[in-house]
Amino acid sequence: MVAAASADVAFPTKGSAVTSILKKPSVLPGFGLTLGFTLSYLGILVLLPFGALIVKAGGLGWFGFWNAVLTPRVLAAFQVSFGLSLVAAAINAVFGFIVAWVLVRYQFPGKRLVDALVDLPFALPTAVAGIALSALYAPNGWVGKPLNELFGLKVAFTPLGIAIALTFVGLPFVVRTVQPILQELPPEEEEAAVSLGATRGQTFWQVVFPAVLPALVTGFALSFARGVGEYGSVIFIAGNMPGLTEILPLLIVIKLEQYDYAGAAAVGTSMLLVSFVMLLILNILQHWMRSRHAR
Amino acid sequence: MAIQVSGITKQFGTYRALDSVDLEVRSGELLALLGPSGSGKTTLLRIMAGLESPDAGSLQLNGEEALGLKPRDRQVGFVFQHYALFRHMTVFDNVAFGLKVRPRAQRLPSAEIKRRVMELLELVQLGHFAERYPAQLSGGQRQRVALARALAIEPKVLLLDEPFGALDAKVRKELRRWLRKLHDEIHITSVFVTHDQEEALELADRVVVMSQGRIEQIGSPAEVYDHPSSAFVYEFLGQVNRFDCTVEGGVARIGNGALSITTDETLRGSGIAYVRPHDLGVAPAAAGPGRVSGIHVVGPDARVEIELDGLSLEAEMDRERFTSLGMVVGDRCTVQIDRARVFTR
Repeated sequence: MVAAASADVAFPTKGSAVTSILKKPSVLPGFGLTLGFTLSYLGILVLLPFGALIVKAGGLGWFGFWNAVLTPRVLAAFQVSFGLSLVAAAINAVFGFIVAWVLVRYQFPGKRLVDALVDLPFALPTAVAGIALSALYAPNGWVGKPLNELFGLKVAFTPLGIAIALTFVGLPFVVRTVQPILQELPPEEEEAAVSLGATRGQTFWQVVFPAVLPALVTGFALSFARGVGEYGSVIFIAGNMPGLTEILPLLIVIKLEQYDYAGAAAVGTSMLLVSFVMLLILNILQHWMRSRHAR
Repeated sequence: MAIQVSGITKQFGTYRALDSVDLEVRSGELLALLGPSGSGKTTLLRIMAGLESPDAGSLQLNGEEALGLKPRDRQVGFVFQHYALFRHMTVFDNVAFGLKVRPRAQRLPSAEIKRRVMELLELVQLGHFAERYPAQLSGGQRQRVALARALAIEPKVLLLDEPFGALDAKVRKELRRWLRKLHDEIHITSVFVTHDQEEALELADRVVVMSQGRIEQIGSPAEVYDHPSSAFVYEFLGQVNRFDCTVEGGVARIGNGALSITTDETLRGSGIAYVRPHDLGVAPAAAGPGRVSGIHVVGPDARVEIELDGLSLEAEMDRERFTSLGMVVGDRCTVQIDRARVFTR
């Protein structure tokens, strides 16, 4: 009680030095209440299922866990899931940026329609997207057939098909994170660059791009995370050949169907770990970039 | 380098920002474009820099047609109101930017760039801040970085768009003096935009007063202040008492005739009379027609508000004179007009 009371006075006494870190006088009330709510909410919603997953996987024991994870089939699925998610996120980073750029910088008829179109992958049930994509890219589909006949390129039931599905579902993340940052970019910075003698290319790469990069990394991370967890849109177009086009979420479902709950939990846990580490790295990278030019 | 602006017109939609403007900026002078917002002054500056292109007219830099030139070929340094520093670059990199983006053949060796940038940072008194980011500087420091950045490319002309607009009063005044001193040292042809008449009068060699896309008057600060050529200029420059009046036979009568001003014989009809507060003489008199309704003593000056025959006037005098008059609110007084200007409608 002493600490709580002393935090309210203008000159905190020596005894309150520790608590004052957590409880600074602030014009915004309810810090304790909202922090408590946030922690319990995240605990119940996020940490509880994760905890249950890890406990379930822990039932296998240390060696049982690694035996379940380090099989060729699981490792191959890791490669497919994480590798293709990275590829899809990279494609989205490039083309999502261009889409955002066009939507922010230019006026053209039907702009609002295009803007709305970007959100469609959010709204569409992923299974519907998956069926549509596989019908389109199948060897007898509208796009798959000419691709196959002209270039001998097989899309559906290959890693390429998976990459296309993941790119499809991840696009809105990049566009929607980059768009507001581009919108708020003051035109004066570009004008300053131009009046200092920079070419268009130099202005873009040295002035615009660095300002947008943190947002682009966020979009990349979100698109990547979505790709790793994606199930519905992929399973129809993937072909699901073990070791070649089998993704991790599908492998988990297969294990569940075989009543191998602990094995499924082990794969899930390892997936969680890898994702967490990768997102953490992206977050640190982003924090570093932002801290350099916070206003 | 001299700038010649002829017949420049610019329209934004239905709004005419500049209406056939002619202006000559002399080589080496510091010129102020002064006017209220919407007078077209910033648009004119941006056209000189090539950031905006006019609908009609011509622009010559040093006798050569410049409208076809891209901003980067005009050798013009531009300073923005909100600094427009590159946020993700250090102060050093900001100033070096214009030198580093030059085509390889014209680019200075990096040691030379470093020397030049540090020299400029010393010039703007920010030598110790080279490694800081703009976010770590105060407004005045940021604007000095912006100035160093613009000077780095050795421009022939320096254009400043409300360079002190975003700064607080004290910093603004300091930076203003500093800029004047800098200009006296390097004599670069400079044009700055401002809506602050005090700033324009104090800083510039010549002042261009603009209103609604046109130039109202061009002249030295003393000329435009002492001899305004139009009612607009009179009202825009400094404090002024404004009265409706009727002019006949060389006399302008204000209100019911309580005050009168001798004018040019040729003027006739209804008009507007302008009297600067310091051109209004006030003396206490027990049966005087005026009544002191307010007194404000600010620093070395005293402002006295007077009600006279339904008019409210403002007189200004130095504090010593005011103290010697010994007036308080409610006193009666006489009012005498020492100097005035009448414009007929």
